[in-house]
Amino acid sequence: MPVLFGLVILGLIVLVPVLMYNSLVGKRNQVANIFGTMDAMLKKRWDLVPNLVETVKGYAQHEKSLFETVTAARSRAMGGQMSDDEMVQYDNAVSKLVGVMRATVENYPQVKAGENFLHLQRTLNELEEQISAARRAFNAAVTDYNNSVDMFPTNIIASMFGFQRKGLLEFEAQARQNPSVGF
Amino acid sequence: MKTLEQIQEFYESELKQSLAAMEQDRQKMISKAMAFVGIFGVVGLVGGLLITQMGAHNGVLLLIVLGICVAIGVGAFSAANKNYKSGYKSQIIHKLITFAQPGLEYWPEGGISKEIFTGSKLFTHSIDRYHCEDLVRGKVDKTEILFSEIHAEYKTTSGTGKNRRTEWHTIFKGLFVVADFNKHFRGRTVVLPDTAQKAFGLFGQTLQSWNPSRDELIRLEDVEFEKEFVVYGTDQVESRYILSPALMERILEFRRRLRDGLYLSFVGSKVYVAIPLDTNLFEPKTFSSAAGFESIKEYYDQLRFGLAIVDELNLNTRIWTKE
Repeated sequence: MPVLFGLVILGLIVLVPVLMYNSLVGKRNQVANIFGTMDAMLKKRWDLVPNLVETVKGYAQHEKSLFETVTAARSRAMGGQMSDDEMVQYDNAVSKLVGVMRATVENYPQVKAGENFLHLQRTLNELEEQISAARRAFNAAVTDYNNSVDMFPTNIIASMFGFQRKGLLEFEAQARQNPSVGF
Repeated sequence: MKTLEQIQEFYESELKQSLAAMEQDRQKMISKAMAFVGIFGVVGLVGGLLITQMGAHNGVLLLIVLGICVAIGVGAFSAANKNYKSGYKSQIIHKLITFAQPGLEYWPEGGISKEIFTGSKLFTHSIDRYHCEDLVRGKVDKTEILFSEIHAEYKTTSGTGKNRRTEWHTIFKGLFVVADFNKHFRGRTVVLPDTAQKAFGLFGQTLQSWNPSRDELIRLEDVEFEKEFVVYGTDQVESRYILSPALMERILEFRRRLRDGLYLSFVGSKVYVAIPLDTNLFEPKTFSSAAGFESIKEYYDQLRFGLAIVDELNLNTRIWTKE
């Protein structure tokens, strides 16, 4: 009987750390998975750049340099030659472009009524809603993972196997000021 | 949706006359029933006295005859009552609904099928008895909507032989609404009242994540929403795409105005809403008049309640790719 008891205790001593390790790996993978989704959605938004530029370039000449920067950056991004930091900068430029478009159409009702613009507007709204959902999901997954890294007893396993805390996504001050579409 | 003033005008011009005729029929039905009860009261009393004088054999015979007469009387009354109610529903309620919100249709005997109900994934228990009635269906601006009353039950049996007992338990009783959602999505998201977290706090949340009959637990960042609801979904990102911060606010607002909870699910680009209710919708009372404007107002309010989800969830806002 004491032997059996000893075996059960030994089994638990082995099993519990294995379960904790696996849950940490699962959570880390979840973060990576959602990051992938978010990345794909940001790239979908970048696909709209030519359309965006086309819609507003005739009406917002003063933003010409922005159009050029964004268009040039897009070809580099599509070629996969960008570092993470550059990608963030590029994404902020795209956000600014969207802002310019919204401001422009306010002044030019004929743009607003066009079929192309309406379609573009819907696609953008959809993507922005999806990107925001992906960001929220990413932050939730990171929080869940970080909790496991910090909390007892999983923190013991985390420090043994080098699981590091991950940073939450923070929004650029400019992005915060962007007029939200309001839903 | 027509305003209450417009409904009142419609009542005066279109409904009042038919209602008066129906009210006469109802009163006739009630007085016949009263007469029947009166006569049988007397006959029963006399019969009772006679039985004590008769032999056992004749006494039983008299009881059987009385029993048959009572059964015929009750049967005739319930048939007349059913007739009155279905006439009321098909004439008055139907007119009221199609006037109040053009584009809607009403079927008193119709309902949302069991397949749609189970397809909503709101209730996972298997159903042994299913009843539905009062189907309203149509379009409110850009949103397709249908709703009906539903009562779904399961049974348990205990004991054996003579002691065998069957008990019925309600899975859901109330209003069930299906509406076209304003965004495209592929997966499944279910929003249920949160009982575990309310009772056990953080440990409750851990319990929720182990629920084998549900999909992945979705933890949302809105603390108030998390306290009130538990969300399960097939895709972490998609569930958040559906449950935007603004929609969570709206759902919470709606929940606060309901007494007995709110169940929502998002499946196949549709939103399913279940609201537990004790009231029987669009049902005229037998023993009091349903001819006055107060009754019409009550049915109008019930219709507005059924359609409320379109405004509450802002379903007519079509700014995304789904038109």
